[in-house]
Parts: sequence; C-alpha cells; structure tokens
Amino acid sequence: MSTTLAEVDAQLSGYAPLPRANGELVFDEVWHGRVLGMAVVLLERLGIPWSGFREHLVAAISQHGHPAGESAAEAYYVAFLAAIESLVEAHR
Amino acid sequence: MHDHSHDHGHDHGHHERPATESELRARALETLLVERGLVSTDAIDAVVEYYENDVGPQNGARVVARAWVDAEYRTRLLSDGSAAIAELGYGGVEGEHMVVVENTPDIHNVIVCTLCSCYPWPVLGLPPTWYKSEAYRARVVAEPRRVLSEFGLELDPDVDLRVWDSSAEVRYLVLPERPEGTEGLDEEQLAALVTRDAMIGVARVEAPAGTPA
Repeated sequence: MSTTLAEVDAQLSGYAPLPRANGELVFDEVWHGRVLGMAVVLLERLGIPWSGFREHLVAAISQHGHPAGESAAEAYYVAFLAAIESLVEAHR
Repeated sequence: MHDHSHDHGHDHGHHERPATESELRARALETLLVERGLVSTDAIDAVVEYYENDVGPQNGARVVARAWVDAEYRTRLLSDGSAAIAELGYGGVEGEHMVVVENTPDIHNVIVCTLCSCYPWPVLGLPPTWYKSEAYRARVVAEPRRVLSEFGLELDPDVDLRVWDSSAEVRYLVLPERPEGTEGLDEEQLAALVTRDAMIGVARVEAPAGTPA
C-alpha cells in the first residue's frame, strides 16, 4: 500500500474533500472508513489515477446532495460508495 | 469550521441496530471486489488503520528546527505563524489562524483547548487522547504547574507560565527551546529531536543521549 493520505487529500481537496473535524477523518460508521480503504486498494490494483475516480465522485455528490437527516460524513460516503460502483461498472 | 458541540470518534457503528441500506451496499461491493480478486479485506483494513493514524507531528518538528537554525525565519514565525508555516508547505484546510509562542529560559508556554479539542493538527497530526480529556482541559488551566509536573516537567517557580486556550479560529504551537549541546546538528537532525509533547508545551526537547551538556 503506497498511496498516502496526503496524496488522496491533494487529489480530492478543492473538489470533494474528505470529511474532517479538527483534522481527524470523520467516519460516523465503520463502513465509511471501509469504502475509503476500498477505493485506495482498488485504484492501486487497477492502476487508475485518483483524478479518474474524482470524476465519478464529484458526479455522485452532485446527484446525492445532502439529504436532511444525514450527517455530512454519511452524505459524503453514500456518494463515495456510488462513485466506486460507477467506476467498477465503467471498468468491467 | 467544525461543530464544537459533538465529540466525534471512530467507534461508532458498533451499536446493535439493523444495517442501513448503504451499509449493506458497501458490504456487497466489498464482497464483489474480493471475489473478483481486486481487493482483499486485509488490504482495506491496513489502509483504514494507516489513514486514521497517518498525520504525525513531523511537520511541526520541521517548523521548529527551521526556526532554530534560521533567525529570520524565527522572527517571521513568531510574527505571523500561519504565513511562516505555509512557507514550508503546511497549512490547514479549515483556515484557522496559527499563533506560535516561544519558550525561553524565563517563559514557558503550554496549549490547551478548554472548550473541546482544537489542536494545530496540520503541524502536529492527531491530538493525543489526554489532550482531549476533560481532566487535562480543566486542570491545565487551574493548576498548570502540577499538571506539567505530572508530565515530568518541573519548572522553576520564577518561570512565567502561560496557558494558551485554542479555539476554532486560533491554534497555538509552542516553539520549544533548543537544547544545549546541539550546535553541531543540522536542521534534519534537530527536527528528529522535537516531540509532539514539546510543541504542546508539556515537555522540553532533550539533547540526544551522549551529547555533552
């Protein structure tokens, strides 16, 4: 595993920054962290740059929005999950 | 700006309740990717653990070491902490203002966030658990000398002890004193001596073992 958090941050900040509070990543649920980990491992395995994933993420965030009743982290990682699904679909 | 009122953590999600639709989708996706040989559960575990502990105090240590070897940088650091720290490529995404306070033989500084756990994370990484504890937050204000003594730091009674209360807008960083006997060390070697606790103000920077005092 070679992708550092700083590299992920550099690719996503300005577009779809990872949810944080006081610098710490916010995972309200265990699965939030797991989908982030899944993306890191998957992109390394497929050799896809984060900029390639970012398109899917930005589109998913735009589509999902921030429904009432969802925390910021929940809304973000629901879209993040959809983005991985969309990326996998595109690389079948 | 983050929410001051809730203390987030990484332990949520273990409560007994039905899995949400998104959680089930996440599990299904992981199973699918594992079956296709694209990810392994262990690899995901490793990333999550690594990311939760990734940011360390090394950025702050480099700032301190630079200030020790470069007097002009030190002056800039003390007059505009955010700008001087940004010179080295570090900064916060939350836009908080960084103020650097300098320890001298006569003045000792220590930082706290009495309200919650505001912390200069772009330079120090994740706050230690004790920093977030109610005991530290209350006691370092009420009886700072005793708290420092419990950390193993004894201050002379005539040292002026200053406690800086961080907030969402202003984060403090302590510039510790450069230990004696380190004149021969270069910037990188100096940075390796600087600890997180010294930049919070609950410890001194010690010269490396074997250095003549």
